[in-house]
Amino acid sequence: MRDEAAFVEFAQAASARLRRTAYLMCGDWDLASDHVQEGLIRVYVAWPRLTRSGGEYAYARRAVVSALIDHARRRSSTEVVSEVTVERSSEQDVAEDVSARAALMTALTALPPRQRACVVLRYFEDLSVAQVAEALGCSEGTVKSQTSRALASLRSVFDGSPLGGLVTEGASSW
Amino acid sequence: MVNELRELLRDNVASAPQDPVDLSVVLATGRRRVRRRRLSAVGGAALASAAVIGLATLVWPAPPDLGAAGVPTPDAPTLHLADAADAVAGEDYRVLASHTNDDLEADNGQYLDGVTDDGQILFRDGPRADLPQARYALMDPATSEKTWLPDPPAPGGEQLWPVDLGAERLVLTGLRFAEASDGADPFAGARLFALVLDRESQTWSRLEWPDLPDVDRPGTQALGPDGRLYVRVPATQGRPPEGGWPTGPDGEADDADAPGDTYDLWSVSLTDTADVRDEGLTLGSMAFTDTSMVWTDSTNGDAGDVHVRDLATGDTRSFDPQTGEKCNLLSFGATHERIVMGQYCGTYADGVRDDRVQVLSTDGDQVVTVQDDRIDGGLAGTDGVVTVTSYQRGRAGTYVYDLRTDRFLRLSDDVSQWSMGGPTPEGRVLWTVPEHRRGATQVLGEILD
Repeated sequence: MRDEAAFVEFAQAASARLRRTAYLMCGDWDLASDHVQEGLIRVYVAWPRLTRSGGEYAYARRAVVSALIDHARRRSSTEVVSEVTVERSSEQDVAEDVSARAALMTALTALPPRQRACVVLRYFEDLSVAQVAEALGCSEGTVKSQTSRALASLRSVFDGSPLGGLVTEGASSW
Repeated sequence: MVNELRELLRDNVASAPQDPVDLSVVLATGRRRVRRRRLSAVGGAALASAAVIGLATLVWPAPPDLGAAGVPTPDAPTLHLADAADAVAGEDYRVLASHTNDDLEADNGQYLDGVTDDGQILFRDGPRADLPQARYALMDPATSEKTWLPDPPAPGGEQLWPVDLGAERLVLTGLRFAEASDGADPFAGARLFALVLDRESQTWSRLEWPDLPDVDRPGTQALGPDGRLYVRVPATQGRPPEGGWPTGPDGEADDADAPGDTYDLWSVSLTDTADVRDEGLTLGSMAFTDTSMVWTDSTNGDAGDVHVRDLATGDTRSFDPQTGEKCNLLSFGATHERIVMGQYCGTYADGVRDDRVQVLSTDGDQVVTVQDDRIDGGLAGTDGVVTVTSYQRGRAGTYVYDLRTDRFLRLSDDVSQWSMGGPTPEGRVLWTVPEHRRGATQVLGEILD
């Protein structure tokens, strides 16, 4: 039997985090919800196997990332990436708000999907290189090179701008 | 000023707008995809009209002794027909409906072509001399009441094969043939088309894809979990060895361990005839489970390796299915986490055949192999249940191996010369028994847990 109660409990606990990851990868909260929904459907289908082997969240994250990358691949060349929707705190000064956070999101959405995924999984999900490689179904070498390129692109947006430089905590391993 | 990447990423999602994912949609869609498992049986399983079975029932004085004939033992847990328990009506199965054609020698009759996800039987009448175009109905198995459907747009009387019998739509496929010259392969140059019935509006639409190459055989398409129709287009054909097939111990040409055929995989949309994709994959047989696509290197001969691709992540793993050295792959299906391969593995002393229905896990583990003389089978239009048909005198009949409970049951003690049926939802099986010498009765049963 398919244990729907356990699945619902998992989905309720995991969806918010999955949605944040998806948002960082696509820059649109509604689209992020759509991809999380598709990812959870895939998890539901695989649920009996997952509950035996464990790793439900890792599978869900892979399913969402895969759905995002598939979507990016299928998107027609005439479709333009939508403007990033940045949530603003009412207390926050606008000039400050349009600064680093918005710049980062804009720069992220300009990256190729796999580079974007590498950055989000490494620096938001805090996955190791090996875990990112597993999540993306590629080699560790590919993760390193994609992340390196992505970081170079992101840094170029910040370097020389009034925003200041962009750093990553800890030394880069590539 | 210095910006730390992790901090910026977290700040960006710190105040996420409220929009919880609608779990009711997740559950409803997930359940629909799970039900689609029954579509995974591919390859000749959905026979839409009565066809004479190729293997004749032979007079056999006693059950053949496979060991004495030199038939090799599979390297797997193995069952033989003698291991089956006689199924008991009411305990092991329940008959839901049946239909008898008294004389199929004279003309086509009426057939049970499958069962929809919501339990309705797809009932077909014709085609025959006084009814050139078949008509269809949905029959309630509880009352036998039929609701006739509008005539399908197949004015040429083309034969149709059910691919998806859903609660919302029915999908049938057929082949439109080019003018064939005498002696040409009748399936050469066939154009695939699909008829889709929207059950709510009761309207048919006919789709044919101009950019899809010709196909070679009917009933070999599979609906993917993404709703696209996956189509095998002929690539290479296995050829007999130079000098012909070797002679087997029975004095006949033995084409066991033949080179297999390969196909290029294409997919088409069931709503947009311009949406045709070459999937860039060459394979033999293929099938879908809920979560994966499963295929072999080749088919109708040596199967090669089995490949399992996780549809959520794209990961693919491959393994040697450990079929026998001389096995030809004849049927292929996948369901849940099981792969079912019907094989012919050679003929031995006194004409004893090595026929097998092998069940593997999607990780390549051997689950069970049903081996005997003059049997065939596979996931024939059902899900969760493997059907095995025996043509052995004394042991003829329809057998089922229930993947859910690992029971091996004998449902009938005779087998019709007419093969009929179609896709059925999980746990339901269509089988056919002879009716006198010229007719047949189709039975729809439910295997009880």
